[in-house]
Amino acid sequence: MKILVCIKQVPDQESRPIAYQDQTWAGYGDNTSYWINRFDEHAVEEALRIREIIPDTVIDIVSIGPARVTSAIKRSLEMGADQGFHLFMDSDAYVSPSIKSRLIADFCNTREYDLILTGVMSEDMMSGQTGPMIAARLGIPSATSVMKLEMNTAKSCIRVERELDSGHRCSMDLALPALVAVQSGINRPRYPSLSNVLRAKNSEITVIRSDASLTGPSYETVEKVQDTGSDRSGIRLEGTTTEKAARLWQILHEKSLI
Amino acid sequence: MSHSIMIMCEQSGGRILPVTSELISCANLIAAHCHSRITAVLPGLNTDAYSIPGADLLIINSPGLAEYTCEGWEMAAMLAAEQIMPDIIIIAHTSTGYDYAPRVAALTGSGCITSVCGIEFTGDNLTYRRGGFHGKLDLQYRAGEQALVITVLPGAFPSYDGQTEAGMTSIINADIQLACTSNVQFSIPDQANTELEHAEVIISAGKGIGKAENLQMIRAMASCFNRSAIAGSRVACDNGWIEYNAQVGLTGQKVSPQLYVACGISGSAQHIAGMNGSKTVVSINRDPEAAIFRYSDICIVEELESFIPEFIREAEKHRAE
Ligand SMILES: Cc1cc2nc3c(=O)[nH]c(=O)nc-3n(C[C@H](O)[C@H](O)[C@H](O)COP(=O)(O)OP(=O)(O)OC[C@H]3O[C@@H](n4cnc5c(N)ncnc54)[C@H](O)[C@@H]3O)c2cc1C
Ligand SMILES: Nc1ncnc2c1ncn2[C@@H]1O[C@H](COP(=O)(O)O)[C@@H](O)[C@H]1O
Repeated sequence: MKILVCIKQVPDQESRPIAYQDQTWAGYGDNTSYWINRFDEHAVEEALRIREIIPDTVIDIVSIGPARVTSAIKRSLEMGADQGFHLFMDSDAYVSPSIKSRLIADFCNTREYDLILTGVMSEDMMSGQTGPMIAARLGIPSATSVMKLEMNTAKSCIRVERELDSGHRCSMDLALPALVAVQSGINRPRYPSLSNVLRAKNSEITVIRSDASLTGPSYETVEKVQDTGSDRSGIRLEGTTTEKAARLWQILHEKSLI
Repeated sequence: MSHSIMIMCEQSGGRILPVTSELISCANLIAAHCHSRITAVLPGLNTDAYSIPGADLLIINSPGLAEYTCEGWEMAAMLAAEQIMPDIIIIAHTSTGYDYAPRVAALTGSGCITSVCGIEFTGDNLTYRRGGFHGKLDLQYRAGEQALVITVLPGAFPSYDGQTEAGMTSIINADIQLACTSNVQFSIPDQANTELEHAEVIISAGKGIGKAENLQMIRAMASCFNRSAIAGSRVACDNGWIEYNAQVGLTGQKVSPQLYVACGISGSAQHIAGMNGSKTVVSINRDPEAAIFRYSDICIVEELESFIPEFIREAEKHRAE
């Protein structure tokens, strides 16, 4: 088996995005920490579990982004993945999933993966597009929101279980090669073991420059970034912790809720 | 400028589902600004629909479309797109919609914007709104030179109640054969959690509670109220702190209590979908920019571990009085 896991590096969700002066995009301060998109960590874990069942499996990791994404790739190698590929793009601006998926599909073309894993969405942008688009470009089947993945013994297809709305489920067999976008809850990602951390230290990450491929058809663009309005009254309680607790009790009491 | 808008009907067993009407409303908002032809596409087998208000209807009938598969719906959408030549395709952001919509975008060479929750016009300039940056900022997108596929969040647009008569109906009898998908089986969830349905107060735990031991604090807070129950976000359930049947959100339960208290929940669209019908929402979160505050009546920027015990003390003090 040859498996590719696509990972995105995302900023810590408690850090504050600051809209650019011209409101065309937003960025983060220098002290922001970044890590692997939570859903992608589940994807890496799922690949490792498959390798435990099918020992001759090779797991490649690919990530598109600026220099800092090497730390996310490194982390996947520490979890146990075999090889890392960095599709280098020296920009934090909006990149359409149409373009990202084209870059990854091009990368896959000669490598003949049996299975491609992505997260169901990225935590920060939540578009959920990149995975299915890669599959469509490669002409292979895909399933999103996958909560269960089983290899069949002949290795010619996989059985996946998708999570639908309101807790309903749907299972199906997909012919390989296929792409699976995993949902959290499919597994519990492991912590890197010491031996894998040491091994990852010595492994090279292959860097492929991809800025040039940004030219092409013009897809959707972000025209404006602004603060969100509020859907509700949104009163902020002020004061010390004790004062806020007292004030909350009082408001709830006035509404006869307590 | 004029548009050709294609809508993919959301259906179940050949019946058009209500969310479709929200898509038609979205399309008609666009049509009100610039002349547009609107065609709703219904993939299925022996559907019982004959027409639809606010749009023409194109039925794609095929044995391969008896139930939803990504592969089948993609083929149906591509077939319809060949006829309709749309520059905007509108699909519901549901577990079926987000499964195949990006594929249709890739195959038609279109751009794609998912989870759209509003559209706006400035002159002729049409923009699509969605959240980004962990829901902390609003983003306005516009189409590029390519056509565009959008998925629309259920509930974001009103149901269509325009007075226009139903449009024309046409049928394509297609022969859609699945090459890569087999053994499709649907299953329904385990018993629903009726406790949440009846609770007047729900105290909901998110990833922010940090560890299983802190559930004690959430329970203690719940016991300050009558007819209360505890629930959680998806991450709280994934971590094993809360049972999955008490997960609130898109894939969990939809709740509408008198009071919903979100403890350490960030406020992702998928969580909001399950609790936005609550009468009063209180949120406790240490991140002053957390998206949950946008959906809250009372916002408390605090560490849970210091605030909740303080609140419990306050409630006990009053109870003793
Ligand atoms: C198809 C799909 C369906 C989904 N369905 C659902 C669903 O039904 N329900 C659901 O909930 N999610 C659902 N999700 C997941 C959803 O996108 C989010 O990942 C999830 O809701 C996040 O849970 P959370 O808010 O608990 O965690 P996080 O997003 O990690 O947020 C934790 C919050 O806690 C705060 N915090 C941390 N520590 C503290 C502290 N000590 N004191 C105070 N605050 C603190 C942080 O500031 C942060 O805001 C779905 C996702 C997908 C893709
Ligand atoms: N920059 C990227 N590099 C590699 N994979 C990505 C990147 N962006 C998104 N993906 C993959 O696509 C999935 C969905 O992301 P998105 O379409 O941004 O919601 C993620 O979970 C990743 O697996």
